[in-house]
Amino acid sequence: MADYREAPLASRPKTLDPNEYFNLSPNHRRSEEDRAALRANLKRQYQTQLNNPHRKELVEDPALTRWVYARANPYLTFKPTFKTSLMGAMFGVVPLFVLYYVFKTDRDRKEEQIKAGTLERKFSLSS
Amino acid sequence: MLKILIPTLMLIPTAWGAPAKWLWPTTLAHSLVIALISLTWLKNMSETGWSSLGLYMATDPLSTPLLVLTCWLLPLMILASQNHTALEPLNRQRMYITLLTSLQFFLILAFSATEVIMFYVMFEATLIPTLIIITRWGNQTERLNAGIYFLFYTLAGSLPLLVALLLLQNSTGTLSLLTLQFSDPLQLTSYADKLWWAGCLLAFLVKMPLYGVHLWLPKAHVEAPVAGSMILAAVLLKLGGYGMMRMIVMLDPLTKDLSYPFIIFALWGVIMTGSICLRQTDLKSLIAYSSVSHMGLVVGGILIQTPWGFSGALILMIAHGLTSSALFCLANTNYERTHSRTMLLARGLQMVLPLMTAWWFIASLANLALPPLPNLMGELMIITSLFNWSWWTLALTGAGTLITASYSLYMFLMTQRGPIPAHMIALEPTHSREHLLMALHLLPLVLLMLKPELIWGWAYC
Repeated sequence: MADYREAPLASRPKTLDPNEYFNLSPNHRRSEEDRAALRANLKRQYQTQLNNPHRKELVEDPALTRWVYARANPYLTFKPTFKTSLMGAMFGVVPLFVLYYVFKTDRDRKEEQIKAGTLERKFSLSS
Repeated sequence: MLKILIPTLMLIPTAWGAPAKWLWPTTLAHSLVIALISLTWLKNMSETGWSSLGLYMATDPLSTPLLVLTCWLLPLMILASQNHTALEPLNRQRMYITLLTSLQFFLILAFSATEVIMFYVMFEATLIPTLIIITRWGNQTERLNAGIYFLFYTLAGSLPLLVALLLLQNSTGTLSLLTLQFSDPLQLTSYADKLWWAGCLLAFLVKMPLYGVHLWLPKAHVEAPVAGSMILAAVLLKLGGYGMMRMIVMLDPLTKDLSYPFIIFALWGVIMTGSICLRQTDLKSLIAYSSVSHMGLVVGGILIQTPWGFSGALILMIAHGLTSSALFCLANTNYERTHSRTMLLARGLQMVLPLMTAWWFIASLANLALPPLPNLMGELMIITSLFNWSWWTLALTGAGTLITASYSLYMFLMTQRGPIPAHMIALEPTHSREHLLMALHLLPLVLLMLKPELIWGWAYC
């Protein structure tokens, strides 16, 4: 452990840095080393796939797969809270009624003008 | 009419009898010849409006552009499907082409039907090959869910239509489109008549799709293989628009009052689905939601029943059909290389596939309705006729145009610009087939700029 030298592209992990590890318990040190070994293994797998000259497809990332699945299936994780209900009402329910009121009053006003004969048709295509 | 229908039917024996090496070139050439013959429909010869008049089928300026679009799309679908079906056994490839051909056959019969019940039967018949294509040749497990949503949303909407059509047959004695427009206006006074009105239009609104009932569309478009996405986006949505334009002639005067909720859903849907597009991470899902947005404008244009609205709706339907299909083909070129639809994974493509960037650019510009392409002309006609209907719609349609431009730009910048990620090495170079596919999509769009009278519908006679 003490002979670990820094590689050109990888810094010394914290568990093997003598400045950091003398005041840590042996248990903690052991668990940190195990985690570092796991990480190094994953990194080695990824580097193997990344630098394979015959690779034609993307390197599969399970975290990305889970994220894409979650984005495509939102109803599985939807929870009706105050905020989501407010969002639904503000963007999905209220505008419909507001727009109905706006359009209906505008069109009724225009219809009254047409019936009274006061509607001014300013735009004429032919003259 | 038969000179198109019989060659289309004969494409099925061609698909099953062609030798293995010549299957795709033969079917491609056959369908291309059919498409070129279908261009003869564009010449409107008669004064009554109905040309190629037969007992059960006819074409008029409303259905002719849609028929030509349908016939044009089959060779494009065959071109697009060549790569992803290459690994399958031969008989399955033949089955795929047979399904596409039968879909084409039903669509030609639907658009040229003169009897509304025939249109209805063909409308339902197109569901089956599409369902088989989505659930059998889709790529993810979600395709089963997508097929169910697609089938049952459309069926649930169209069952009231069957009842409404039978009632109409009872009261007018005929359902032939040739004479139905000239029959006496119906006495539509009771509450049940309002339900009848809704029954007539609901199927087409679900198919278009209208914003509230649009949930089947992103699923079906995303999970379908490229040919399925192309035919769905380009033609099947327009079946709904065409049906609405035919039926709405008989539904006055109820439409003046009852159409408000649907116009509101359509216009609000333009903004909502456009905003959803800005948040999408899946490329095909973005294009699917943009289809909902454009079709919302079309629904608005049809429901206000003005000549400009109808013309604008037809122009936008044709232009959107070509553009949306082109975008799905571009998304498929990405998918075939990376086997992922996530936009994050396939970005910075301008460095790797620069010629495809040129097609992405033109297709994105068409999607955001750049003048003088017909996309803008259709949108502008609908927006002005909506403005005439009520000034306040300009807020919604103007905001919708802005959001459309921003998500089209987002899609282009996300897939093409920026640094290319380190994990994408050795992407296949672009095939000539893909360039040909994109050219055949965008060339008609550009040519329509030069003779737009072809797609003006009833306004040009």
